[in-house]
Amino acid sequence: MARAVTNRRKAVTTLAAWLIGIAIFFPILWIIVLSFKTEGEAIKAPLEVLGSPWTLESYATVQERSNYLLHFTNSVIISVGSTVLGLIIAIPAAWAMAFVPGRRTKDVLMWMLSTKMLPPVGVLVPIYLIFRDFGLLDTRFGLTVVLTLINLPIIIWMLYTYFREIPGEILEAARMDGASLRNEILYVLTPMAVPGIASTLLLNIILAWNEAFWTLNLTAAKAAPLTAFIASYSSPEGLFYAKLSAASTMAIAPILVMGWFSQKQLVRGLTFGAVK
Amino acid sequence: MATQHSRAAARLMISPAVLLLLGWMLIPLAMTIYFSFLRYNLLMPGMEEFTGWTNYRFFLTDPAFKAALINTLLLVGGVLLITSVGGVLLALLLDQPFWGQGVVRIMVIAPFFVMPTVSALVWKNMFMNPVNGLFGHFAQSLGLAPFDFLSQAPLASIIGIVSWQWLPFATLILLTALQSLDQEQLEAAEMDGAGPLSRFFYIMLPHLARAITVVILIQTIFLLSIFAEIFVTTSGGPGTASTNLTFLIFLETPAALRRGHGLGRGRGRDHPGQHRRDLPDADDRQEPGRVRMTRGAANRPQIRSARADRTGAPPAAAHASGGRIWRKMKVGEE
Amino acid sequence: MGRITLDQVTKSFGEVNVIPPLDLTIEDGEFVVFVGPSGCGKSTLLRLIAGLEDVSSGQIRIDGEDATDKRPADRGLAMVFQSYALYPHMSVRKNIAFPMKMAGVPEDEQKRRIDGAAAALNLTDYLDRRPGQLSGGQRQRVAIGRAIVREPQAFLFDEPLSNLDAALRVGMRLEISELHKRLATTMIYVTHDQVEAMTMADKIVVLRAGYIEQVGTPLELYRTPRNRFVAGFIGSPRMNFIEGETAAAKGAFAVGVRPEHIAASTESGTWQGKVGVAEHLGSDTFLHVHDTGLADVLTVRVDGELPVRHGDRIFLTPEEDKIHRFDAEGHRL
Repeated sequence: MARAVTNRRKAVTTLAAWLIGIAIFFPILWIIVLSFKTEGEAIKAPLEVLGSPWTLESYATVQERSNYLLHFTNSVIISVGSTVLGLIIAIPAAWAMAFVPGRRTKDVLMWMLSTKMLPPVGVLVPIYLIFRDFGLLDTRFGLTVVLTLINLPIIIWMLYTYFREIPGEILEAARMDGASLRNEILYVLTPMAVPGIASTLLLNIILAWNEAFWTLNLTAAKAAPLTAFIASYSSPEGLFYAKLSAASTMAIAPILVMGWFSQKQLVRGLTFGAVK
Repeated sequence: MATQHSRAAARLMISPAVLLLLGWMLIPLAMTIYFSFLRYNLLMPGMEEFTGWTNYRFFLTDPAFKAALINTLLLVGGVLLITSVGGVLLALLLDQPFWGQGVVRIMVIAPFFVMPTVSALVWKNMFMNPVNGLFGHFAQSLGLAPFDFLSQAPLASIIGIVSWQWLPFATLILLTALQSLDQEQLEAAEMDGAGPLSRFFYIMLPHLARAITVVILIQTIFLLSIFAEIFVTTSGGPGTASTNLTFLIFLETPAALRRGHGLGRGRGRDHPGQHRRDLPDADDRQEPGRVRMTRGAANRPQIRSARADRTGAPPAAAHASGGRIWRKMKVGEE
Repeated sequence: MGRITLDQVTKSFGEVNVIPPLDLTIEDGEFVVFVGPSGCGKSTLLRLIAGLEDVSSGQIRIDGEDATDKRPADRGLAMVFQSYALYPHMSVRKNIAFPMKMAGVPEDEQKRRIDGAAAALNLTDYLDRRPGQLSGGQRQRVAIGRAIVREPQAFLFDEPLSNLDAALRVGMRLEISELHKRLATTMIYVTHDQVEAMTMADKIVVLRAGYIEQVGTPLELYRTPRNRFVAGFIGSPRMNFIEGETAAAKGAFAVGVRPEHIAASTESGTWQGKVGVAEHLGSDTFLHVHDTGLADVLTVRVDGELPVRHGDRIFLTPEEDKIHRFDAEGHRL
């Protein structure tokens, strides 16, 4: 509102917003703090914890005990791979729905979303059997394929909402200018939709990175991503807060940093066309 | 925009996505339905027999089913309520001018990036643990008895954890929607004599309706299949107090399957024919780690150790035997 | 070259018949304007010619060759869209080069044509800018440049000036007319603005609900409109229509007189009425005259200096030989 806000009001708002912000962020902050403490210190009362010496010990133990790098690599390959694969399938589909809409386009879209409504556990056994028979259990490829299918409806929906904002006339112009369908999508649509594609990419990498049903159920060791790596820390071996914190920090840090840097695009993507 | 050329192209372009999703939906579904009518035993191939609706009758009359259904509704409804109301309030606050908007925004969005297994573990241990958790410390410093969240109020605790994860999502969508509201509308309403509350209910809330719908739709999709949070914290217990449908089906899934591929941490029906609630011995086994960890595991006897069998074979080793030790999918036998 | 023939062309969207069977021939080098109120099917007709929509039946021939089933790109036509439809992620140069790139025109030839078009359209200084950095008029010129370099058989314009402000519109109108004179290529121009139609066209096609109401030169339409619709649509301000006794006396259901064909006087005349709103344009004044007993209101163009005020009594005299007569169906008598 184009209006002077009194400094007093602004100060009160600032205080409230910061308090709530810190409260929401606190659990993350706290595990970062604990990850730099020894196990003995980590379970003490909060004020004592803060006063205790800082150490990298837990990180060393975690790296020693479980192969962080392997799980990290798995997470990257699976989340990026499934998202890119999903985009390759989704871009043409979203093009079709956004620019050549038919009477049933909305129904198809809703149907696609509804496939996400099925609780994944309902198909766990068949998928497990299929995976076993095709030797896909505990492979990065298998998991990548599953996560592609899981996130495909969301990718298509997001791209669809972006594409709809692109005036059809521009694609028609390309067609008049002699562009084939391939060129139309490659040289005109895709570059124009870069912001939309980027935020779709980001959101789906995050969703895939954090997916914790299939990643837990279809992997054992070789292909286990960070979600499974963390789940293995739910088995306490003595006092374990510091190690758990270090492992957690390592598991969420990459996506947290990526998310923060791409916040703007991400928020736009998150609105799913709800905000014009 | 629609010529025969482009319509044909459109069909071609959309077909990979449609076919993949159709396959993804239909093939496993058909298999599931097929199995559901069978008494299926992998140890004795060829011995399958058609059992009609027995499995369904068993599942639907299982008291755990009703409990899980109610829990699912409570979980989804509770989280939706908290995140949408909280999201609107928070969005209204963050929409005001204040110092350090960028930093607060970054802090508020952060939980959305945290993987469910991490957030569940962190809340469970660092916060809700009655002895070492922060809430416990806090209660002690006030001279109160620590509250064991996950055994006293398991479902509410899980609702709390999940709400923490999804509040940022709701807040950010609603904030973006709020910022897209035409200021002139608010000014016009103010000229017309509408106070802050009227402006909120007559201008802002209708403007947010679409965004709220999206929040509810997207969250419902993800909340219906909440799994990791329960798996890591309560394993559905005590009893069925925090078992949702997803987790119940997971529990009914042959244990060998779950152990077999590295997931053996789940508590399952290791003994065919015996429902898990008939197995107090197995359920109440305490593992050494837990005892030390909580330094007082005795005060939460109802929590059956979900991970009783985890410490057994390491996942990778167990995997090899996964297919072979497929036990019975004989949900119907009691 | 660019002779375009529509033979019994129809278009329906589902149940809705947008274009009933329609015949039209556009001669090579002609500037043809499709004009009509919104929803009259003029844009659909243009898109049918462009190949952006399929005809439901009938045939479109370009230069004698059947183009009905050809893809848009293969018809040798260039189109300028209402929104300009520039590629926002490409510089002006790349925008103009795009159709040539798609057609595989050699680089040096591309450069030659771009420079030529840029010089002709005053775009030389802007070639490396993005469309977002240009004004509306400049964007319009880029869109035209992109069309020119293809050296098409015909240009299609879909309401190209409707997004420009009034002053710019007049300027661009002249530029496009100029361009047509220089290139002598067939141009088909769609607009809802009869002023654009009158000032630019060699031939105007007036459409209503998919039907061609009349085809002719601007002056033909102005002088001898075939029916009441065309009479009312062409000319500004609108023609006055009078029904009842006055029309019956002339053996017609209705008569029409254009505002500029009525003389006004403060002393005497055939009709009389009371002055309502007077719109002073300086050179002319448009009087809205009430209480004439002929029609609700008559519009009259008078000399800008005529001293009249709201509520004054005024006398009107139509020029007898410029009165148009129509029957009950609206046809010209």
